[in-house]
Amino acid sequence: MSTLSGPECGAEHCITCGDDGLPMTVVRVDPRRGLALCAGEDGARSQVETALVEPVTVGDLLLVHAGTAIAPLMSSGSDIAR
Amino acid sequence: MKFVEEFRDPELGRALAVEILSLVEPGRHYKLMEVCGGHTHSIYKYGVDDLLPANVELVHGPGCPVCVIPMGRVDDGIALAHEDGVIFTCFGDMVRVPGANGSLLEAKASGADVRIVYSPLDALRIAKQNPDRQVVFFAIGFETTAPSTALTIKRARAEAVENFSVMCSHVTIVPPLRALLESPDLRLDGFIGPGHVSTIVGARPFEFIPADYGKPITIAGFEPLDILQAIVMILRQLAEGRCEVENQYSRVVPYEGNTRALEVMAEVFELRPHFEWRGLGFISHSGLKLSEAYADLDAERRFSVPGVRVADPKACQCGEVLKGVIKPWECKVFGTACTPERPIGTCMVSSEGACAAYYNFGRFAREREVV
Repeated sequence: MSTLSGPECGAEHCITCGDDGLPMTVVRVDPRRGLALCAGEDGARSQVETALVEPVTVGDLLLVHAGTAIAPLMSSGSDIAR
Repeated sequence: MKFVEEFRDPELGRALAVEILSLVEPGRHYKLMEVCGGHTHSIYKYGVDDLLPANVELVHGPGCPVCVIPMGRVDDGIALAHEDGVIFTCFGDMVRVPGANGSLLEAKASGADVRIVYSPLDALRIAKQNPDRQVVFFAIGFETTAPSTALTIKRARAEAVENFSVMCSHVTIVPPLRALLESPDLRLDGFIGPGHVSTIVGARPFEFIPADYGKPITIAGFEPLDILQAIVMILRQLAEGRCEVENQYSRVVPYEGNTRALEVMAEVFELRPHFEWRGLGFISHSGLKLSEAYADLDAERRFSVPGVRVADPKACQCGEVLKGVIKPWECKVFGTACTPERPIGTCMVSSEGACAAYYNFGRFAREREVV
């Protein structure tokens, strides 16, 4: 069996194809392109589509699924989930 | 991390287990279906079912988007991947799903350019980096994932990325639930509702479950305490004779859903007249395709797709597992001919699949221990 280059889904939860959401923190915002650089629990960073949860600011915690933020978890400076 | 650790507290988990015990009537058997594959995975990863009394049974529903893809659809993807000049992109679990003519992984081994992506946006990026190639994204998933595909399609149009197209296999959650509820061999007492699908569609689409079928449903998050609390809420409804849609996952799920996501989906997609589900057959208005406005980005129009229907392997009982009629270990090939390394059925492929969850977390062939 061949192997594929790039990320693979193992026995752990597949973050893209399941009904799964990953909490990620906004590190940098690119409002012109509707994107944000976000960091996951493990510190790994990735580009995230923010059109469904705008406006976002640095420090916001977002629920990210398949590279798209689908819900805000809280605003920076607030402990209360929106 | 906030919203994670506090939902894994063992003391609170034990307290919820005690509350569950106090809510069940001795002698009554409760069957609750978790709709979502993510819940199935969490239940076995964290041993949630070991905290339940023996008369509370969890049944695993059809909410794993990989598991419900029929073999013919995989073969269509493989045919596209073998087209001249095509880069075929898909999510990781999808590459190992067997069709009648092998898997996408085997297609890769035989020369097709198959690449795993974590998001549709990654597929679009590959298209921009390879302007002389056609890049196809194999879009699967429920309403949680469909907005991501829709936004990427809009972005491809806005950025005039002409070598990008989508083979749309997105599905919707309500039609299969209705089909399950109509199934004569199914007896359920309530549902644990899908958390992240509901983030998009809200709670309202599930109102038909109590209204038309008299079953309670509680939308739940994915941490162990979320699931235990949802079970408490369902059992409390049953004990009090109530039957409603309740939302345990209110920190993420608004009752009306994400209206922006629903708008973008309505713009980019339209319902197919019918769509085939593995194990469940054809279900009306349960699949999405690209709308006429975005037809030029539809891979099924851009390329010739065979569209052949393939019957599931006879030995495979994924359909009965998906309907919750049998437990994974009751399947004739579970753990022998069908393993995560060499899956026959799709439920053994994805980590959200009930069979893979049982296999990976050591639930090979036994009934649950009595607490």
